[in-house]
Amino acid sequence: MDSAAGWIEHETEGDASVLYLRGAWRLANLGAISRALKSLPPAEHKRFVLDGSRLKELDTSAGFILYRHLVGIGCTESTVSARGFDPRHRKLLRLVHERMTCPPSAARSMHLGLVQRVGAAALKLGRLLRTHSAFVGVVVLEALGLLRRPGRFRAKETVAQFEAVGLDAIPIVALVTFLIGVVFAYLLGVQAQRYGANIFVVDGVGLAMCRELSPLLAAVIVAGRSGAAFTAQLGTMKVQEEIDAISTLGLSPVQVLVIPRLAAIVVALPVLVFVGDVAGVAGGMLVGAWQLDIGAAAFLDRLHAVLPMSAFVIGVAKAPVFGAFIAMIACRMGLLVARDARSVGESTTSTVVQSIVWVIVLDAIFAVALQSLDL
Amino acid sequence: MERVLEADSVVTRFGTEVIHDRVSFTVGRGEVVALIGASGTGKSVLLKEAIGLIRPSGGTIRLLGTDVWRSSADELNALRRRFGMLFQDGALFSSLTVAENIAVPFRENTDLPMDLIAPLVGFKLALVGLAPDAGSKTPAELSGGMRKRVALARALALEPEILFLDEPTSGLDPVGARAFDALVRVLSESLGLTVFIVTHDLDTLLSIIDRAIVLSRGKVIADGPVSAVMQADDPWIRDYFSARAPLVPEAS
Repeated sequence: MDSAAGWIEHETEGDASVLYLRGAWRLANLGAISRALKSLPPAEHKRFVLDGSRLKELDTSAGFILYRHLVGIGCTESTVSARGFDPRHRKLLRLVHERMTCPPSAARSMHLGLVQRVGAAALKLGRLLRTHSAFVGVVVLEALGLLRRPGRFRAKETVAQFEAVGLDAIPIVALVTFLIGVVFAYLLGVQAQRYGANIFVVDGVGLAMCRELSPLLAAVIVAGRSGAAFTAQLGTMKVQEEIDAISTLGLSPVQVLVIPRLAAIVVALPVLVFVGDVAGVAGGMLVGAWQLDIGAAAFLDRLHAVLPMSAFVIGVAKAPVFGAFIAMIACRMGLLVARDARSVGESTTSTVVQSIVWVIVLDAIFAVALQSLDL
Repeated sequence: MERVLEADSVVTRFGTEVIHDRVSFTVGRGEVVALIGASGTGKSVLLKEAIGLIRPSGGTIRLLGTDVWRSSADELNALRRRFGMLFQDGALFSSLTVAENIAVPFRENTDLPMDLIAPLVGFKLALVGLAPDAGSKTPAELSGGMRKRVALARALALEPEILFLDEPTSGLDPVGARAFDALVRVLSESLGLTVFIVTHDLDTLLSIIDRAIVLSRGKVIADGPVSAVMQADDPWIRDYFSARAPLVPEAS
């Protein structure tokens, strides 16, 4: 008996239809109640009487569905009357009736088409890049301001950030570059052994690690580790209105928050690159001794002879540029966070993606530019 | 009267600090009860213990006849569908629109089809006095008062028997706060809701509360109708109820 009868009994008294509501009209039974209402005969401009004498329970959702159905089949206040309801249910129905305005159109979040999404994303990216350059200007001005009043530079904060960005990252950077050194030397060695050119592995590993791999790996690790942390920190501070509080105290958020982080990362990344150079070469030495019959002393001798100083300097000199980009992007994205939790996550993701892309773009620019300068 | 919430000798310790020292009280069905007390007396902690979020160090809490801290996860989840909770700042899900926020309990806990949920969400919005077009906004776009109303609509979605409100009027302007109070009272009377409010708001207390429970120094120091609690002989209670005294014209 899934039909209407379980929930509604329909009788005719004179010219009126009497609907006896039955059972527990609760949210849990709403699906069945809704079906029962739909199976009722259409109104045909008759009068309806709602009888609540057989009703056990009633809640607002069920009351709303009942009224919605009655309105839907063309009933008005004058053609529906109620009787026999428990006073509590009568009160509830009155509240439902009072609050029931026209039901809104189903509100959903908008779903855009492919072209619209591409367009919106492009516009957003354009706006972001434009405001990035404005931010760079602000930071430069604030940094110049610091030059005039060096007492305002936050040395303590900078050192604390340096520890978090640089010193704490040494183990992970050393591990990653060491392993890449091992892999790189091994792959080179497999090729070189065929021609009996084992010793040239040293040239390859030294040059690749110092000039390209170590700066790139250290920058990617710092972007993922510290860039994400900066954005999340500043973003959360923004959400908690701490950044507004800093401004209200007459301090500049850029001087207090951005410049220490920028300085820390610009100093820390070259240090990490140096650590990476050493660890990567050590990885190469391990493979040399183990697989290629190049002893440690021979390895170092060869390295000393073939690795130009310029390769090492170029590698270390790229690091502050990478670092500055990472710090600027991370701080900028942190300050852009809106006042909700989702926005912190989105900005953090965006920081890591932007930082890594920029590091690789810059690296490519360096490679081409230095090549044309014959360096 | 049927007891829907019973706290029996609840003890809460954080480290060596005793927050609640054998706190006991009951709430009957249909009552509107306020828990008051100075900041730091553990009102919100007690509330979270009652709804199964923080485990008390000792004592029992029975909610709708179920011992909250000795029930299985399934029993607790079944219980959670029978009460609604309004968190202090609304705790709306910021990644969802207002309408989606209210739809969450329907989607997760009922098997209603979408074409029934959408109008129900609209009705819940209207029930708490919001215009239908609020549904498409995101929580970040709402004012404090609107956030609380949306949170109330979400708390009321599954037709709860008990409504827990944590400082519902904090951060609202007096007009908004009184309107919110009136809304809670209308809902509790029409729906037969039991309402348990943690509040600091003296006006809430004087306008819509049936009974007040006063927590101080880890104990319940007064429990009864507001008019009786006002007369209690305790320095904190006297200070609390006279906090507004200079603003009220003196009866000469």
